[in-house]
Amino acid sequence: MGYLSAPIRYMMENLNIEVIEPPPITRKTLELGTQHSPEGVCLPYKITMGNFLESLEAGADTLVTLCGAGKCRFGFYGAVQKTVLGKNRDIQFFTLDTEHLLRDLQRLLGKFAPKAGQLAIGRNIALTVHKLRALDAINEAKSFYGARAAVPQKTLDICEYGAGEIANCETFGEVIDTRDTVIDVMRSYEQPAAAPPKVAFVGEFYVLLEPYANRWLENELIKQGLEVKKFVYTGNWAYAKVLLQTLGIYNEEKEYLREARPYLNYHVGGDGLKSVGTTAWCASRGFAGVIHLFPFGCMPEVVAQYALKNLCEDYKLPLLTLSVDEHASDTGLFTRLEAFADCLKRKQSLTSE
Amino acid sequence: MPITVGIPRALLYHDFGELWHSFFSHLAVPVIVSEETNKRLLDRGTTLAVDESCLPLKLYLGHAESLLGRCDRLFVPRIVQHHQGFHFCAKFAGLPDIVRNTFHLPESKLISPVIQTGARSEILKAAAAAARSAGKTPWSGWRSYRSAYTAWAQARDREVPSGNAFTPRIAVIGHSYLLKDRFLCGDIFAVLKANSVTPVTDDEVPRRRLYQEAGHFAPDIYWQMAAKLAGSARYFAHHPAIAGLILVSSFGCGLDSLSLEYIEQQILGSCGKPYIVLNLDEHTGRTGIITRVEAFWDLVKWRRKLESNLPAYGLSQRPHPLYDGELEY
Ligand code: SF4
Ligand code: SF4
Repeated sequence: MGYLSAPIRYMMENLNIEVIEPPPITRKTLELGTQHSPEGVCLPYKITMGNFLESLEAGADTLVTLCGAGKCRFGFYGAVQKTVLGKNRDIQFFTLDTEHLLRDLQRLLGKFAPKAGQLAIGRNIALTVHKLRALDAINEAKSFYGARAAVPQKTLDICEYGAGEIANCETFGEVIDTRDTVIDVMRSYEQPAAAPPKVAFVGEFYVLLEPYANRWLENELIKQGLEVKKFVYTGNWAYAKVLLQTLGIYNEEKEYLREARPYLNYHVGGDGLKSVGTTAWCASRGFAGVIHLFPFGCMPEVVAQYALKNLCEDYKLPLLTLSVDEHASDTGLFTRLEAFADCLKRKQSLTSE
Repeated sequence: MPITVGIPRALLYHDFGELWHSFFSHLAVPVIVSEETNKRLLDRGTTLAVDESCLPLKLYLGHAESLLGRCDRLFVPRIVQHHQGFHFCAKFAGLPDIVRNTFHLPESKLISPVIQTGARSEILKAAAAAARSAGKTPWSGWRSYRSAYTAWAQARDREVPSGNAFTPRIAVIGHSYLLKDRFLCGDIFAVLKANSVTPVTDDEVPRRRLYQEAGHFAPDIYWQMAAKLAGSARYFAHHPAIAGLILVSSFGCGLDSLSLEYIEQQILGSCGKPYIVLNLDEHTGRTGIITRVEAFWDLVKWRRKLESNLPAYGLSQRPHPLYDGELEY
């Protein structure tokens, strides 16, 4: 998912586990997944289903997935997929519970790499989390410098190349070095110009992070000259989940709840509360607009939509609501995006005159 | 000046409406309930709601709007969880916010007790808060809740009268706010009755039994509503007097999209009984439903004829050892 897979693959291989990474998501993945999924289910289910089927074709016999019981379907994915996939096959299915991520991860790795000691496993998990955070950092830099570069495409390419390098680093020091070098290179293309309009990218976790699912929207926005601020990052998420929550010193819900009042006053599962909380935060911090992205029919985000409509009206914050499903067409999406970007840029030049 | 409370006749009203009603009448607070669902309410709801909302939520907003000018407070509880380990869907947890954002209402316009653990202390708090926002004392809130609850629970747990002997029965399974809404599902029951079939719903199954059945799917299913559906599907699928099952779902229901797949895979596929899934949306015409139910009944009849020549499996009238005494036919 997003750039989550490369470092994880590295971690597994480092522990001598043979990894079959699902082939990159393509039209075919999605079609395959859709074929084997109930029609009304949300997009992440269909894509992950496609991933699993393609991995099985490639010879995998153990599937690992995340789950988290809650008010949303995500926690139910695993159970249904297991039933469907296990019907005519002999497979092992592992679910990592997001509430006990560290524990489950240790168990899983301990099982598949029985020779590796707890210490080695611990070190590997830590290194992986470290890498993910470094990837977050270069991604954020990509958006900042990309929107300020003469040829944004170049910045995007640098970022992509850098991400590959980071995934294969062997030590903590190396990760930091690579990260800084990559960011330096991006910075060198910065043009002294007026700050570009800043857009917040909020919505459901999976589609925000999986570039295939969001049709590389983020890059598209950068190319349009907008600075994109994303509030979900795999690294930070893993860091928060693995470390801080295990230690019990982290509670992000409370913060979002404080921000989201009075528009949304309860945690509604998934990322609904977060979408509203971050939008409210951005509204009072000079953001030019908000893009709300989620899978079609996503329950928490539908609830969030009610709140966002009102919030953005009250703050006069332009809001673009995009829901994606397997029928989403790129042209349709990009036309709306372009119109939105134009509107923001026009607004900015009006106010700066 | 006495305060009037409005309750939308939608969503959980169909499960708990009587309890809420008698709570307020014990408090001596006048209550108005919106009229039964009709085309106009549905259309209004569809206009008011965010496009991707599920059908029942759209309906809820239509009902809520019809009450706005006629009452001082809307009763919109926030129900998150009331049995340990079983959640309600996101729409219930966010319902008061959805209503407030849609109609631009201040917090004081709503009576929204929060049920998130089902603990006794929480019920006390909820009853007190509800009474206070209706202008009554917390103490009277507790007393009213107690009387209302006792009567309601007694009525709920009363033995359910059983149907006629030896008539085939069709189980209809779905969220109560779909099945009990005459506008949405009335036709299904009418068609069955017109064909002298007695439909049966989970109302006729003791609750204890339902949750026992649903327990087979723990911890996979952690939604209250999905557990109830899976429990009744399992119960009816194995019940000898049930000749077929009709599953009713609605457009945009995130739960059903997955749990029906799960139920089909785990239960219905292997039970050997005919079943159909009816998906309702705001454009579903009555004729469409009627034809499908009739066709389904034809199929069931045909299957019964075939099977009556064989040692009957799904339709045997011999009492199943597991099912003595609960549904008697
Ligand atoms: S948060 Fe949305 S997309 Fe994710 S599982 Fe829930 S409904 Fe599906
Ligand atoms: S359970 Fe389904 S139908 Fe009911 S409110 Fe939730 S999404 Fe809508």
